[in-house]
Amino acid sequence: MNIIKHITTLVSAGRHPVSGEPRHCHNDSLAMTIGLDMAKSISAKHHVLHAGNPDNKALSEYLALGAGQIDVIPISDDTDVVDCLATQLNHADLILTGSRAESGEDSSLLPYLLAEKIGIPLVVNALAIKVKANTIEVLQFLPKGKRRHVTVKLPAIIAIHPLAPASLKFSYARQISGAIKTLLVPYTSTSTSVHKTQWQTLASIRKPIKLKAPENKSGHDRMMSAISSESKGGAVVNNGNSVEKAQVILGYLREHRLINF
Amino acid sequence: MSTSKAKRINPNRILNTTQNGIKRITLSAPEVAENIPEVKPLRTPTKPKNFYLTVTHADRGMLDDHAHQVIASAAILADKETTVVALVLGELREDIASLGADKVIVMPEFDYQVFQPDAELACVLKVIDSLQPSRIFMPDNMIGDGELGRRLIATQPSKSAATHVIEIDAKHVASYQAGGSLLAFADLPEIILLAANTAETNLPFVASAIPDEQLKSTSYTFKESNSDYKNLGMLPVASATIALEEADFIVSAGNGVSNVATLETLARSLDAAIGASRVAVDDGKFPRDKQIGASGKTVSASAYLAIGISGAVQHLQGIKDCRHVIAINRDNSAPIVKRADLTVIGDAEEIMQSLILAIAEAKQATSNQTMSNPVN
Ligand SMILES: Cc1cc2nc3c(=O)[nH]c(=O)nc-3n(C[C@H](O)[C@H](O)[C@H](O)COP(=O)(O)OP(=O)(O)OC[C@H]3O[C@@H](n4cnc5c(N)ncnc54)[C@H](O)[C@@H]3O)c2cc1C
Repeated sequence: MNIIKHITTLVSAGRHPVSGEPRHCHNDSLAMTIGLDMAKSISAKHHVLHAGNPDNKALSEYLALGAGQIDVIPISDDTDVVDCLATQLNHADLILTGSRAESGEDSSLLPYLLAEKIGIPLVVNALAIKVKANTIEVLQFLPKGKRRHVTVKLPAIIAIHPLAPASLKFSYARQISGAIKTLLVPYTSTSTSVHKTQWQTLASIRKPIKLKAPENKSGHDRMMSAISSESKGGAVVNNGNSVEKAQVILGYLREHRLINF
Repeated sequence: MSTSKAKRINPNRILNTTQNGIKRITLSAPEVAENIPEVKPLRTPTKPKNFYLTVTHADRGMLDDHAHQVIASAAILADKETTVVALVLGELREDIASLGADKVIVMPEFDYQVFQPDAELACVLKVIDSLQPSRIFMPDNMIGDGELGRRLIATQPSKSAATHVIEIDAKHVASYQAGGSLLAFADLPEIILLAANTAETNLPFVASAIPDEQLKSTSYTFKESNSDYKNLGMLPVASATIALEEADFIVSAGNGVSNVATLETLARSLDAAIGASRVAVDDGKFPRDKQIGASGKTVSASAYLAIGISGAVQHLQGIKDCRHVIAINRDNSAPIVKRADLTVIGDAEEIMQSLILAIAEAKQATSNQTMSNPVN
């Protein structure tokens, strides 16, 4: 008996990095493709949910990528997306999202806020997912080529990593046969943005300035630090035969736990 | 013959070796070698009632550069009354006093490779509860801190927060928004997730970095048996199959490597990826995608074994993010010696052969040990 009946993928409107035109968000499309594949293999129902403008051109691209139907919660800019989405996700057994949006604040906070709001567990950086009894087994991405297996109890939110191996298939036929359905949900959410940080945007991009400790050095000190380079150089082993030198290297690797033998 | 009254200057004046190892004659200075290391003043918060907290994961007992920058930026922004407390998740075997941490809490049970987000969050919340820090600094990275920080932000709706912070000073933070097309500013929030390279770690002071055993015991967290999450462990990935940019251990060959087969054996026994200098690639010993340097790949391995590589600037550019550089070279004046943390002078082939033998022996000894006491 399969306990997953409904899978919901949350999609956001992406943005072309050069032209700024709306497009599908690649990471969200990966999540949707993984969700569709899983729904098919375990015969669950798959939903695609978006909070925003129903006329956004980006949405039709999700249809072309196989969404079938997209449910849109129409919201204005100042409403809290997390609250709106949470009201629509009560029935979902598994919720999939991308890891970082291409528009808006891009804080990558949405899955976390949503998990906290609904009160269900969250696993991020997922590369692949598999259903195991009443849990989901997730292959997680870690840097330096490391991968980790974890399981999480259902219902859960899983954020897919941008490097997840899923191939997107674009089809114009699906784009015109698909539907975008506007949900009429009465929500009474005022702007209760969880992290109340007021951002002021600046359209021009400049190089960020590094934080430095203020120093009150004498002129001589400043000159000395300007004319001397930082290069330090480590230990140099000149003596001994090659066996002893090999032991020195092995010792160094062991001391810094770079090897485990 | 009359003796001249003019002061005679010693032609063999003693050279003063500066801290950076450069020899100088300073005419005004007395004729003594002043090889005294610079002593930085100790930072002591006057009224330790106000706290800045940094939370960082350690890897194999060391904090990475990103974590160093986070602790240093908390120390730079802290005023005289503020105590900087560094909470380190995972075992720590390095001294972080030079980064400005006044107090250190080490929780060795939270290794970053073990997935236990609920237990880690509970621990951080306990520390926050007992310290009530006015600001919390964390690295926005992929080894767990970025994730833990966001989980923390989600549980603290009353605290202001900023993620992906690329610029920070005493008044504000900045971050890219809308896919990197906008630069946004905000007042310095309470929870700050810093991107890499936002601060210099060279401080004009040191702190005492006292381990706080009391806080450590109060923040001890039992692992919940009914956790929603279960860690199944790391997936073994052979180093040879992962991209060079992602590799954690690289054995790299230069013009001084004559026998490629030996190098490949060494890389296999260390489970390392193979890299090469441009000359070795140009010679046809390695494919072009193995080239490391300005016109090749930029790598960030924890261990980089440079064998028979002179260390030209174009090559060093590619390894600037490597943590431990070990060089094997015939020439002790090669520029790689200045970059390397350990240099072994000698013939590459001989040392590689001995190293392969030594590794085989060490592995044999370890497997014998595990056979004799199978519990561990
Ligand atoms: C525009 C430009 C871009 C470049 N980009 C790159 C780049 O991306 N990557 C790169 O690597 N280079 C690059 N180079 C080339 C770079 O300047 C050097 O020429 C190159 O890195 C040198 O390679 P090497 O150290 O292997 O060889 P060498 O300079 O010949 O050094 C060989 C070293 O091996 C030692 N040695 C020799 N025999 C032995 C032995 N038997 N045992 C032990 N040690 C021995 C020698 O002492 C010497 O230090 C670039 C150059 C230019 C101009």
